[in-house]
Amino acid sequence: MNNEKVVAKVNDVMRRGFEIPADKLIPSATLFEDLGLDSLDAVDMLVHLEENIGVKVDGEQIMKVRTLQDIYTLVENLAAEPGAHIKLDI
Amino acid sequence: MGVKSMKVYVTGMGVMSSLGNGVHSMFQSLLENKSGIKHFPDWQKYNGLHTHLAAPVPEYDITQIPRAARRTMSRMSEMAVLATLEALHQAKLKIGDHQYTPRIAICMGSTTGSPEMMEAHFKKMFDRGGPEGQLGTTFFKVMNHTIASNVASALGFYGPALGISSACATSSQAMILGWELLQTGLYDIVIAGGADELHYTGAAVFDIVQAASRGYNDRPNKASRPFDQARDGLVISEGAAVLILESEKSVLNREAKKLAEFRGGMYMCDGTHMSQPQKLSMVQTMKEALSRAELTAADVDYVNAHATATIQGDQEEAKAIAELVGNNVPVSSLKGHFGHSLAACGAIEAIASIKMMHENTLISTRNLDEVDPECAGILHLRENKKMSIKTVLSNNFAFGGINSSLLLSSIHE
Repeated sequence: MNNEKVVAKVNDVMRRGFEIPADKLIPSATLFEDLGLDSLDAVDMLVHLEENIGVKVDGEQIMKVRTLQDIYTLVENLAAEPGAHIKLDI
Repeated sequence: MGVKSMKVYVTGMGVMSSLGNGVHSMFQSLLENKSGIKHFPDWQKYNGLHTHLAAPVPEYDITQIPRAARRTMSRMSEMAVLATLEALHQAKLKIGDHQYTPRIAICMGSTTGSPEMMEAHFKKMFDRGGPEGQLGTTFFKVMNHTIASNVASALGFYGPALGISSACATSSQAMILGWELLQTGLYDIVIAGGADELHYTGAAVFDIVQAASRGYNDRPNKASRPFDQARDGLVISEGAAVLILESEKSVLNREAKKLAEFRGGMYMCDGTHMSQPQKLSMVQTMKEALSRAELTAADVDYVNAHATATIQGDQEEAKAIAELVGNNVPVSSLKGHFGHSLAACGAIEAIASIKMMHENTLISTRNLDEVDPECAGILHLRENKKMSIKTVLSNNFAFGGINSSLLLSSIHE
């Protein structure tokens, strides 16, 4: 079960950063095929996640991400690290 | 030219301007003698910036450009795409969708890449001591050929694309180069134009060299006064304009509607001074343009002047025009209406000139209350005039010593 606040915040980043309609933002959605993103968007996603949520994702981690669920999990894991200060307010 | 030139026609036009988006809206504003210039009180916060006037493009709908294409665009590319779509629609041309079109060229540019994105990019770079946190899409907004590549990408255009950059002569050069490309017989169609976006740094360029208006900040409606005794400099604007230039053969094959004949043009660098315009080189450029167009000065019915309302530029141009055509040919500048849209102005003014021919109405110079004696000797248009004209000479001059002149003729069938 994902942290609801993380899901809501990541979805907000996806909506505002990549103009993805809310009804497409389901955990099983693949970033490239279902949501229409590509490798250039993946680079920008790193910046959007860092600036909006406060998690520092490295390039290798983002390249392994396939679905929206993978991003939720990645953010939750980074948020659980000692000293992490994440912003989940929308 | 020595060899009879191939006829080239304009078959489509699109514009985004401070006087309206779309050719019809823009020309209607000209007929109504409107000004696009507004007061920008927020610019008072910039230390050392004295001009607080600018002419922005009205709000536009960007949703017709898909996000995947738009993500690499700043305003200048968005406006260039929208102007291109209008021009292609009018020309009834369907290109793109990744069709292979090696005989169709895109030829357009801007003064620089996006100034807004450049400022943001370097601010973050300095703040963070390096490239950390930079978006991957930023470079495509600031690169010099951002307009040409973004238009191509948005259309799915698969053919030759050239980025032209010569500041205020950019879109004139793009059109003239397009005409030259068509003369070679290697191309059928050239999509030519230019765009620039409003940013205080653009105004600052002219403000620093005392060429921007400072005395009318509280009276935007009175600012930008080409050839006027009380002029005090230009007002920065923005916009995009695109023309479809097409060879006679292509026009016949497609049964395309001809909007005007692009008779020819010339661009030259005087190699003399980066910022001071020179009458002699203006005259020579106009003469070379006439020669290439296989016309003489006696064929010119109207001169659309570059005249940006700077002290020296207007004087030199007025003297140059006087030497070429004397005091019998109507002359006007549209910078009092639009402001100065830099890379877009040449194409915007070419489109406005074509509309003047279509509507048999010459648009006067706005805010020309009292002609500067140093700008006398030419037939200034002080009010709009009903007049049938056959041939227009249009000038655009740029920092760097770049001069350009081109000729357009009406279609009588």
